[in-house]
Amino acid sequence: MSLSLRHLLIGPTILIWAMPLQGQDRATALNQERRQSMVDLIERRGVTDSVTLAAMRVVPRHDFVPANQADRAYGDHPLPIGHGQTISQPYIVAYMTEILEPQPGMKVLEIGTGSGYQAAVLAEIGCDVHTIEIFEVLATSARRRLDRLGFPVTSRHADGHFGWPEVAPFDAVIVTAAAGFIPPALVQQLKPGGRMVIPVGSVYGVQNLILIEKDAEGTIKTRNLLPVRFVPMLSGIR
Amino acid sequence: MPQPARSLAITFISAATLSFEILLVRIFAIEHFYHFAYMSVGVAMLGFGVAGTGLAVWSRFNPTSTQRLFVWSSGLTAVALILTPAFVHEISVDPTQLLWDPGQWPALGLMYLLLALPFCLGALTVLSALTMAERPGYTYGAAFLGPGLGATVCIASLWLITPESALALPAVLAALGFMMAVMAGTTTRSAMAPPGITIAVSVLILLTAPWQLTVSPYKALPQVEAYPAAQRMMERSSPLGWTVAVETPAFRFAPGLSLAFGGTVPSQTAVFVDGALAGAVPSSPHNPAESEFLNWLPTSLPYAMGLPQHVLVVGSAAGTETRNALAHAVPRITAIELNPDLVALSRTDALVRAEREGRLDWVIGDARSYLSRTRRTFDLIVLPPAGSFGTSAAGVHGLAEDFLHTSDAYSQYLRRLSSTGTLAITRWTSLPLRQTIRVILTAVEALRRVEPQAVENGLVVARSWGTATVLVKPAGFTVGEIERLRDWAGERLFDLDWHPGLNDPATKYNYLEEPTPYLAAAAAVRGKATSELFAASYSFDVAPVGDAQPYPHHFLRLGSLASLLGSDRGSWLPFAEWGQIALVATLAQSVLLAALLMLLPAAFTFRSGHGGGWIRLSLYFGAIGLAYLSAEIAAIQQLSLLLGHPVYAVSLVLTAVLVCSGFGSIYSDRVAVPNTGKTNLALMVLLAALGLGLLNVVHLLQPFPLAVRMVAAGVAIAPAAFLMGLPFPLGLRSLADDGRSGIAWAWAANGFAAAVAAPLAALIALELGSPMLFFIAAAGYGTAALATRGNPATREA
Repeated sequence: MSLSLRHLLIGPTILIWAMPLQGQDRATALNQERRQSMVDLIERRGVTDSVTLAAMRVVPRHDFVPANQADRAYGDHPLPIGHGQTISQPYIVAYMTEILEPQPGMKVLEIGTGSGYQAAVLAEIGCDVHTIEIFEVLATSARRRLDRLGFPVTSRHADGHFGWPEVAPFDAVIVTAAAGFIPPALVQQLKPGGRMVIPVGSVYGVQNLILIEKDAEGTIKTRNLLPVRFVPMLSGIR
Repeated sequence: MPQPARSLAITFISAATLSFEILLVRIFAIEHFYHFAYMSVGVAMLGFGVAGTGLAVWSRFNPTSTQRLFVWSSGLTAVALILTPAFVHEISVDPTQLLWDPGQWPALGLMYLLLALPFCLGALTVLSALTMAERPGYTYGAAFLGPGLGATVCIASLWLITPESALALPAVLAALGFMMAVMAGTTTRSAMAPPGITIAVSVLILLTAPWQLTVSPYKALPQVEAYPAAQRMMERSSPLGWTVAVETPAFRFAPGLSLAFGGTVPSQTAVFVDGALAGAVPSSPHNPAESEFLNWLPTSLPYAMGLPQHVLVVGSAAGTETRNALAHAVPRITAIELNPDLVALSRTDALVRAEREGRLDWVIGDARSYLSRTRRTFDLIVLPPAGSFGTSAAGVHGLAEDFLHTSDAYSQYLRRLSSTGTLAITRWTSLPLRQTIRVILTAVEALRRVEPQAVENGLVVARSWGTATVLVKPAGFTVGEIERLRDWAGERLFDLDWHPGLNDPATKYNYLEEPTPYLAAAAAVRGKATSELFAASYSFDVAPVGDAQPYPHHFLRLGSLASLLGSDRGSWLPFAEWGQIALVATLAQSVLLAALLMLLPAAFTFRSGHGGGWIRLSLYFGAIGLAYLSAEIAAIQQLSLLLGHPVYAVSLVLTAVLVCSGFGSIYSDRVAVPNTGKTNLALMVLLAALGLGLLNVVHLLQPFPLAVRMVAAGVAIAPAAFLMGLPFPLGLRSLADDGRSGIAWAWAANGFAAAVAAPLAALIALELGSPMLFFIAAAGYGTAALATRGNPATREA
């Protein structure tokens, strides 16, 4: 009888202790499941680069969005991260990453750190990532987040138009903030044989995704890839 | 009841509703984009229709209840005009998400209905007065004169105060109308208290201006203002636009800047009109780097051929191309800009110095009119790229009339060139390529019209990563000039997609999926037939447009919508032609709401035994409602070319049409009912004549000063406008003689047709051109004439 009583007391205690852990596991499993679905969708939409897809299957996107948006982290749409900025739609992240043809060890410059998600994907691939953010608050929070999650990324708070001459040249440059024009400094900081991808246009609405290639002789070619639409998800749009 | 007080009440109330409508057009243009203008016309017409419908189902009419309705509705109009802006600002709507997010529709519908409320209440005031009036023409005349007054007051106020401050004006006017309505029925002091309070509140709102403009985040202004350390430096407002200057270190404006540029883009102040980027002004007045930077923009291409002696910049905006001409040491520059606030902003020290030295002349006005009256010729005429890439690519200007990029306009530019002069047009290259292709085809068509033998040697197309520059030279490009252009472009990594003697695509730097600019230029140069064939086979409508259909930024073919959506690139559509899709959404919503509000009373009327004449009544008043709106919109569009700006055209046409219609309505009391059919037939003939000839008259009048053009425009439309005031009151007397529900039915049918006509007329103008709108208006009055046939009341004694 006493054994039964002990069991009766211990059982709920173990359950109470285990519940949060089970909840955490369940949330982790759920996020993993959502992440797989997200990457499957990206794959169906035409992104085939296995390196990119593998990295996106690992990077926890829900850790890069505000807590109140975590449930929507794996939907194929951009999300607000504050200061009028967004974390890009996963498909665009994958598409732009694939265009760069990333390889471990490549030195990559990212303009527009935002929440740090794109930098984390590149770091997961094994690239040597340098990222610049113009909004100080975003730069600081992204730095802390990347450190906490263990992604080796070098970051700074600066105006990305001038690139990062101290560590140039780069194998690849990725601009994740929409620009009204292509900053010549970024083209100059690209290595011969390097690739740069940049969305040109307004922050929200329509942009042309442009690929810039510098061949071994340093000759530059551009290629208009596709129009992309960036939608603001701000409250109170009228 | 004293007739003058009641008429004054109607005048003020209708002045209030029309000024609210014009302000909504301005506010929608600022907060969203131009195509929402049709939504404001639509909500007004819906409100009128709902009022008619409301009275149709309300059978308890007697003089006391009608008088009460008259006073109450006038008071509620004032209250609604005070409260509606506050409530509407609380509704969160993203109209660009209509195709993706079904949740946007109820919000948009709620906004639509809220905005329609003041119009509905205003129409109830007029309608109740009409049902009490012994002479409906007199009352209806007051209802037309009021909007004329409202349009004048509203446009005048926009020179003095911002649109959001002006939003209180309609409330003030309506409160005055309320006061008159009360005075018309009583003289007791206590009855004057509510209108007195309403006037006080509306004046307080006018003085304190509590409303704020909430610019769509899709527009450039909020995006640039979100940059670190952004500071609004200046803000000006006029009916021509809300101009704002913002300074932030992160902003740079360099359309198509060469990737080979090794210098630094100088710091700039961003300039916006109605929230959209209009250009940039250098922040520092003495920056030697600016001259160097300008020489690496694609717009500098024509200067590679040599120094032009006299340059004309069409649409100088923030002055980048005017400064570019100065940087290239051009001895004489004429810069045209319509918006005086932009000119004031762009006048940097260098430009002021050039003015003093006699090198630079400003023309504040419309380029087409200037080119019609000037006898000067120019060595180079420059049309710079407008605004930012984003809006250009999204097709948000698709519904905006633009008379600077029609084939008639290009022909006019070519005729004002000196014997060796060049026309240079630079546009953004948005994907899929549309704008660039239309510019190429239009330029060649204009060249063929002006100098047919020059087509083979007179075209050059250059392209950067984001812009295309089209050069047209009626004298033909020499071999030496082509060499210089090729060298200059090559140094800057720009491609020469077309030049005389080119036989194959020669892309070296900026690759597209297909060499479409080359193919378009080759087809256009080969001949008119091949050019038309190329345009017809292109996925988008890229054929040149003329002044009769001035929508050079509209590319979506409605007919090919299904096939485009079905293709791989279907996903591009929503953001390629956003404006037209918003217009179709507005039309769908108008039809749905207006049909519901018509069908409901139809069922009631049928059951209550009034159904006998409703088909004839609906046909007559529906036809004249559609015709009235169509004629008005056609006149606004064609007179925009004559007056140089849609705001001038809107204010003139609304004032002239409504005032003349008002006099027509007053005069209608003297017209015998049997003449109803003849009046409509006369209108049919007159509007058909306007469809055939008004645009030619516009071209003839273009050289004259603005004041003369305004008077001439008024005179041109006045006879038709006067006659357009007759069919409604005549119809009331001849067809709606079965009591007050007949009058209400007439209003409902008229309001329904007008609510649907506003977006429908815009779509027709887009697809078929403004002359067709006049013909549709003529057909509408012809239909109304037919509807009167066989009616005993209209038979001659």
